[in-house]
Amino acid sequence: MAHDWQPDFEQLVDEHQSMVFSLAARMTGDRGLAEEIAQDVFMELDRHLGRIESAAHACFWLRRVAMSRSADALRRRRVRGVDLWVEMEEHHGSPAEGRSSPLGSRLEQLLATLPEPQRAALVLRYQEDLTPEEIAATLASPVATVKSHLQRGLKLLRAKAANHLKEYVRGI
Amino acid sequence: MEFEPMEEFEQQLREALERRPAPPSLKRKLMASRRAERPATPMPAWQRLAASVALAAVLGGAVTWRHVEERRKGEAAREQVLTALRITGHALDQINTQLAAHSRAPQE
Repeated sequence: MAHDWQPDFEQLVDEHQSMVFSLAARMTGDRGLAEEIAQDVFMELDRHLGRIESAAHACFWLRRVAMSRSADALRRRRVRGVDLWVEMEEHHGSPAEGRSSPLGSRLEQLLATLPEPQRAALVLRYQEDLTPEEIAATLASPVATVKSHLQRGLKLLRAKAANHLKEYVRGI
Repeated sequence: MEFEPMEEFEQQLREALERRPAPPSLKRKLMASRRAERPATPMPAWQRLAASVALAAVLGGAVTWRHVEERRKGEAAREQVLTALRITGHALDQINTQLAAHSRAPQE
């Protein structure tokens, strides 16, 4: 179908590089790897630019491919038998380093310990502010599964925070 | 012991998960890779169409020229053969005339 929207690759990079990089960084926990994933995602976008129909479609496409590429990277690491987060922090520092809020950094570190599907759902929910339906479309999962991951992930993260972040808990 | 109410916890999570700026090297590397992958700007559709038409015209012209040239050569060869036949016929006529004259001469 014909469409009038004329994509500008450089403008798309300017607008979405932070989103793509942050998604990859939070899913893999490695800034260097996240940068590589972001490069791959944008180069693939460049090759598929003719099929992108609108700005919203570009954003959706970038989110979906960034999550998919991050999952692939995690899978490759698992095949190699590497503890991703330990290796990443040794080589590239903590994914949350440099943040101004200590609580934010610790929450981000705890988020990294969640199972991958729960982490993916929470990152899309709280970083990208997506609804469960939008997350389901991005991850190509049933909405019910996404809602379950969100509930379980949030509950698990909150429990971990209660155990590990006592200094930040109100009333202690 | 309880962490803060869920709404506040979600809000803190939202703040913790704000997008981070991408490293400046990302865009630089991207644009360099892109330049390396496609050294020249792709031709617009109308230019591609015009180039295709021009190429088709050149090829068509070449085929036509070759056809005409072969036909011309064929005609020339045919003319040469006819000329040779005419010359041969003329020579044979002359020989016949001479033979006839020679055969009449002793009788006289």
